[in-house]
Amino acid sequence: MNNPEADNSSNVTHGPVTSPGRLPEEIDARGEDGQQSHEEHSGIMQYMAVFAALCFLTTMSFLTYSSYWPWKDEPQVGWAFMMAVSCTKALLVVLFFMHVLQEANWKYVLTIPAAMMAIFLAIMLIPDIGLRNRMVSQERALHMARNSDVLLLEKAASSDSSDEVGKHEH
Amino acid sequence: MNSPAASIGHESHGHHGPVLQYQPGLPLSRGKLIMWLFLSTEIMFFAALLGSYVVLRFGAAVWPKPHHVHLSEPIGAFNTFVLICSSVTVVLALEAARANKRSLAKGWMLVTLVLGSLFLGVKAYEYSSKFDHGIYPWAPRGRIYERPDLYYGSAVRARLSDPAILAKIKELDARPEGELSEAELTGRRRLKQVREMVANPDQQAFDLAVVADQIMPLPGDGADGHGHGGGLNDTFAWLQLPAVIPGGNMWASTYFFLTGFHAIHVIVGLIVFGIILLYELGPQRAGMIENAGLYWHFVDLVWIFLFPLLYLF
Repeated sequence: MNNPEADNSSNVTHGPVTSPGRLPEEIDARGEDGQQSHEEHSGIMQYMAVFAALCFLTTMSFLTYSSYWPWKDEPQVGWAFMMAVSCTKALLVVLFFMHVLQEANWKYVLTIPAAMMAIFLAIMLIPDIGLRNRMVSQERALHMARNSDVLLLEKAASSDSSDEVGKHEH
Repeated sequence: MNSPAASIGHESHGHHGPVLQYQPGLPLSRGKLIMWLFLSTEIMFFAALLGSYVVLRFGAAVWPKPHHVHLSEPIGAFNTFVLICSSVTVVLALEAARANKRSLAKGWMLVTLVLGSLFLGVKAYEYSSKFDHGIYPWAPRGRIYERPDLYYGSAVRARLSDPAILAKIKELDARPEGELSEAELTGRRRLKQVREMVANPDQQAFDLAVVADQIMPLPGDGADGHGHGGGLNDTFAWLQLPAVIPGGNMWASTYFFLTGFHAIHVIVGLIVFGIILLYELGPQRAGMIENAGLYWHFVDLVWIFLFPLLYLF
């Protein structure tokens, strides 16, 4: 089940399969129809369980919008929660749907360097968050939106609403 | 991994020389190895895109709320559900092919193709709703201004001076009140007010904020997401006046860039599934389905992060 080559390896053409927790003899020994269909069935049940977990976690992302969420005034808590949910979902997809859980040790060779590069890349970009508005050209400063613009628009919207109410009352 | 690059077979008989057998360095097929190497590069590609988005998002002085840019969270959640379902159907197709259930494998593959197309259809609908509100990723068509300043006022004035628009306004003014709906009546009164305000040489920043609010109000946080009512651009679709969304242009650039690249990946996946469907999907094609599935799960993975970052933050 670990990889297709291993399953058909009654005439072993390559080195030992480095599947964790199983000896090559065990892999070779199986193959009866009953056992295969049992494994197929349990595999599908596992996929369905992962699917249910993914749907549940997607719904959980909306928890931050509900009235039960206690950290309404601190959006960072909600963001951290949603990222944790996303990471859990990603982990489920990678481990079960992409079969990484069952793969041999080569998985570390390919995934760890790529993941490290991705993390380094994100870390290298972090200073830009802090410095983004420190060295702004005059032209950009002239045209870029500020919080005061949002407040002005909100004030205009509320004055317009009160105008409308006044007109209806007349 | 421990195996030598080549070994001498013991089945050589007499006059035959030693038979060399190929020993793969890693216990996986070449196709799968190449797919994983490709996915490694894809991880870094999307990490760069998402990292840049996070930098721009959290470094910006102002970033629009999802409702300001007419994003609908339930639609995004629906698309997430569609992609998760398609990931399940791919693994079911793989299992069916391994068990030599060819027609079942083909059926699951077809369902995956349909779900992927549904995802793209929903995305196209979302894009069209952005375009309807003048939100484009580039300047010539985009009608979004960052702030209600003099540049914005002159843009509104220029649009209202367009002969075609002037003719339509004249036509609207000439219509008797009985022919107009209540929304159109209010819109006509508001339009007159806006024309007077942008023509006034002593206009203040607050006047232009009122103009922006009349044209396309920023929706409130209410459940309906439509604030206190539609603006002039909604009432009279032909007006297409410039609108103000603080931070809207940078949002549009990142949104279309991220979702656009993701959509390209979805299209490539659908083409691959279309090609796979041409074959008989027995155990001999399991490797092909597995590799295509790996790619598709990665596309799903990217969306798992895109959905909260774009729709919920």
